[in-house]
Amino acid sequence: MRVRLLVPLLLLGLAATLKGQQIDGPWGAVLDLAGGPLRFSLYMRAGSLPNICNGDQCSRASRLVVRGDSVLIEIADYGATINAQIRGDSMVGSYRNVGNRGPRVIPFRARRSGWRAEAPPRWLIGRWDAWFVQDGRKSPRVFEFRNTEPGLEGTVLSNTGDYGLFWGHAVADSFSMGHFDGSFVYMLTGRLDGDTLRGLFHAGLRTQTPWVAVRSTGAPHLKQPTEITGADTSSAFRFSFPDVNGHLVTQDDPRFRGKVVLVDIFGTWCPTCHDAAPLLTRLWNRYHDRGFEIVGLAYEVTGDSAADGRQLRIFQQKFSIPYPLLLAGVNDTQAAALTQPQLQGFTSFPTSIFIGRDGRVKKVHAGFWGPATGPQHQVLVHDFEQTIERLLAE
Amino acid sequence: MLFPLASVRFFSMRLALLFLSFAPALLQAQTPPDLERERADFSSWMASALNSPLATRAVVPVGAGVRIGPENSDVPFPGIDARVTEQRGTLTLRIAGSDRTLPRYRPVTSGELTVMALGEPGRTLLVVYGGSRRSKTPFYYPYNNAAVYVGAIQPTAHTAVRVLTLEGMEVEATEAGTVSVPDGAGSIRLRVYRIPEAGTEESELMIFFRDGTSDKGSYPAGRFVTLLPLPDGRYRLDLNRARNPFCAYNSVYPCPAPWPGNTFATAIEAGERYQRSTGQE
Repeated sequence: MRVRLLVPLLLLGLAATLKGQQIDGPWGAVLDLAGGPLRFSLYMRAGSLPNICNGDQCSRASRLVVRGDSVLIEIADYGATINAQIRGDSMVGSYRNVGNRGPRVIPFRARRSGWRAEAPPRWLIGRWDAWFVQDGRKSPRVFEFRNTEPGLEGTVLSNTGDYGLFWGHAVADSFSMGHFDGSFVYMLTGRLDGDTLRGLFHAGLRTQTPWVAVRSTGAPHLKQPTEITGADTSSAFRFSFPDVNGHLVTQDDPRFRGKVVLVDIFGTWCPTCHDAAPLLTRLWNRYHDRGFEIVGLAYEVTGDSAADGRQLRIFQQKFSIPYPLLLAGVNDTQAAALTQPQLQGFTSFPTSIFIGRDGRVKKVHAGFWGPATGPQHQVLVHDFEQTIERLLAE
Repeated sequence: MLFPLASVRFFSMRLALLFLSFAPALLQAQTPPDLERERADFSSWMASALNSPLATRAVVPVGAGVRIGPENSDVPFPGIDARVTEQRGTLTLRIAGSDRTLPRYRPVTSGELTVMALGEPGRTLLVVYGGSRRSKTPFYYPYNNAAVYVGAIQPTAHTAVRVLTLEGMEVEATEAGTVSVPDGAGSIRLRVYRIPEAGTEESELMIFFRDGTSDKGSYPAGRFVTLLPLPDGRYRLDLNRARNPFCAYNSVYPCPAPWPGNTFATAIEAGERYQRSTGQE
């Protein structure tokens, strides 16, 4: 009897292993947007959490379920899923997330073995000053394109930060790059036309914005991040929000008094804020002993302090953040602006507010240029360090 | 002028007809698999999503506050006692004696009650879900491949205009331009508005139109259709994808007023249909 039971159990186990082996490894994946295919990579191993990657930058999904030929990848942070059927060396299915007018569904497909790295043409590499043109309105962007080990990488910068790392490929005079992190679906396609690049920026399934770009001369094309948000400097900067344990923390807390303080307005849902966290932790570790503090004011997704507190704890652990994170509100730019009456023109997550030892605002830096922006990131790091050094010396 | 997709594919269609002439009805009614899937997804979302219009109990402006609960409340809901208020743009839900901040555009559930705040600070709409769910399944005209057009948008003055969206929320839209499509022996210029998606870089290019089927098989107030971008910068207008505003499923939603000029002289027998309630649902 035992033997009879064991045989089917062993077969089941073997089948599970075989199914597991079916998904292991890199997959070259595509989201089929109306404007064309957005390429990204999936790295999967049965029993582990899958990685969603643009080039060599990956974000981890929260769950992988393989049942028979069906694959479910859950991306809990964004309430999103990828459902697919395995067909030999391919997967076919859909990516979906929550929408208010119905489900937002984008066709998904993947083939075994990842994308091959292709060196981009030289004419594309470097910095381009771009204009997005929509309904007669122009707004400035900067493109940074680099040749890296995984191939063509780069990003799109706006006045308030960057759109994360884009990865893609170029063929003859055309290129296509995508950014998909489980929530944001962005694709940049373009073609060289004389000395000018022209193309489309695709956001989600149905939005595309024409753009035109010329090679950067080095002159500023975007607003400086310190010119976007103003602050009342006539009195000390005030904040009063609970930490994850429900204890109210204010600017009068002894840990901030007489210190140089960086107030980081952020959200755990915001990919750029994830880019900023390692730098802020590094700055805290480097300058804390000289009188430097950081406090994170989190604007979270649900408004439920238990659920948002959990997200904050995960964020704090993920980046080994040594400074306090406070629950300031929900992630609505307009509503967040109303909770910060001393700021004028608050528009972006993250925003870094530098406070002097007298408690007054000395500088407000809107947005964040993450590592994907290459030289811009180095400029930002240098600027943050210089500002902290200067304020510590005052 | 947007060109009928059927004419773009005329040559290949003729070849197809040559081989499929034994099944012309099948060809006429064959819904493309992507649209079939889209409709199935929508039906399933309608039947099960927390924020489905079939689960909506009320849509009310937050104004000075909304009470949800006993019979004399703004929104009667037996077994619930909750209040939503807005102060300087921040929304608070008080339920079971405790307060929580309410995000916008995201359903929040507490026990049997689900609420979602829509719109801008000072003009917030509260959608209250919960209790019994209506049962209505979207249904459609047979697929009509003559109702698919491809072309460019003709830009106009790009004026900003406040309109009600498909889900009854007031937003500031931008007139993206017009598209011109055949309408009987002539043509019609349809106004296209760009409807922003709050908190994202995304937006939808939408047309809200009426036609000869309005109140005679399709929803009387009109139907929405989204322009689908193509890789070459042109757009596809597929009237088979025309869909009803949420007020067609549930009368608690405000119904958008028809957009000026967007009335076909002919009947567009494509996309979602509508049957007046018999009172037996």
